[in-house]
Amino acid sequence: MSILERRYRQLMRAYPTDYRHDRGDEIVGTYLDLADPRRRWPSVADAADLVRGGLRQRLRAAGATDLIPGVRLAALLALTTAAFLAGFWTLVEQSPPPTEAGVPTFGPFESIGIVAWLAWVISALLVLVAPGRPTRVAIAVAVLATVAVLLVSPVVGLPRPPLLVLVPQVALGVLALAVDSRLPMPARALPIVAAAGGAAFAGGAGNQLYWGSYRWTSELLLPATGVVLLGVALLLAVGLAVLRDRRGGWAVVALLTPIGLLSVHILAGAVDGLGGAPRPTYPTLVVAALTVGLLGPAVLPAAVALRRRFGGSSPGEPCPTCGIRR
Amino acid sequence: MDTPLREPTFLILTALAREPMHGYAIIGEVAALSDGRLSLRPGTLYGALDRLTDAGLVELDREETVDGRLRRYYRLSPTGDATLAAETERLRRNVEAATARLRARSVRPLAPRTAGGLA
Repeated sequence: MSILERRYRQLMRAYPTDYRHDRGDEIVGTYLDLADPRRRWPSVADAADLVRGGLRQRLRAAGATDLIPGVRLAALLALTTAAFLAGFWTLVEQSPPPTEAGVPTFGPFESIGIVAWLAWVISALLVLVAPGRPTRVAIAVAVLATVAVLLVSPVVGLPRPPLLVLVPQVALGVLALAVDSRLPMPARALPIVAAAGGAAFAGGAGNQLYWGSYRWTSELLLPATGVVLLGVALLLAVGLAVLRDRRGGWAVVALLTPIGLLSVHILAGAVDGLGGAPRPTYPTLVVAALTVGLLGPAVLPAAVALRRRFGGSSPGEPCPTCGIRR
Repeated sequence: MDTPLREPTFLILTALAREPMHGYAIIGEVAALSDGRLSLRPGTLYGALDRLTDAGLVELDREETVDGRLRRYYRLSPTGDATLAAETERLRRNVEAATARLRARSVRPLAPRTAGGLA
């Protein structure tokens, strides 16, 4: 066995054991047929293809082939929500405190958060006009800009939006990276419409003064946004389930982390006792955010495992391609 | 299997329409059919073959070992044959309709728009 073959076989561990046993020789043989015989390492594209194929096969074995479409649906909802918030905060940024208050500002804006919000608005626009790779790159840039705001602010001594605002935005952005590149036009228009809606909501008659500050605005706006997102996701899940489409259920599970982070101060306040909501102690807030951030993503593989245990294909079924019974 | 078929699925079925093929040959045939535009990788191809087999469009034909490498040959099932024929007919009608419209336009150039729109 050549070094290259051994390395392909190591990558085949991405596949379930039974499948690897039945199909491993055939799949590795095809990779070797295609590869330059002088190669010692699989190409990055081959490695990604194997891992993707293995993940898909594991989901198939668990009877959860609709998970990936479900995550893509969740990604669109996450991007739409992130765009709504970015549109809203872009308007809030344009109402910095008066100079005589002596509070530092970022030029004509309230904080350096404006850089991140504009990156999000560009992402929302790109999904409409250039779906696919350009959109994913723009979303990645927006996520990095949001993280950079957090890191750069203390270095340059400029104000930034509170963590309560930045952390759920990053969570929404990470999920939004999975957005489908073949969305129909009405779906592609959702994020930019939401961004415009967020800006209109913030700048609407009588709202400009009301939403003048990040701190207490975020305490009101973020959980309300989380509740609306959860409501929309649940309605979609029920509507699709009626049509025997389980994507919506997976979308709800995938959205649990950003929804939890949008309401993290309410959750932390509940831990502190109802008197603490929505301003819990800082340690409780940090612990609540870490709990949501770590447990939330674990719910998805746990749901797949449950699906495999209680609802997946029976182990006695033959391999769909070669007919071998396991 | 949902219709209309996605392009990779359509080309895999088209590749198998001529004769049973193993994975490596299917990849080469799909690349040739698409003028090199579509380059399937094995992980993607075998995932697609699994789905097509689940849907009853493709069947296992035979197995061979060549130079110590296992090769399984796949063929179109009768259902796959009918699905490919139906999809080809649908695409042919679309192409004919589009060609007729384009030909008519080249024979009779579009009239310039008049100000004021429809009277």
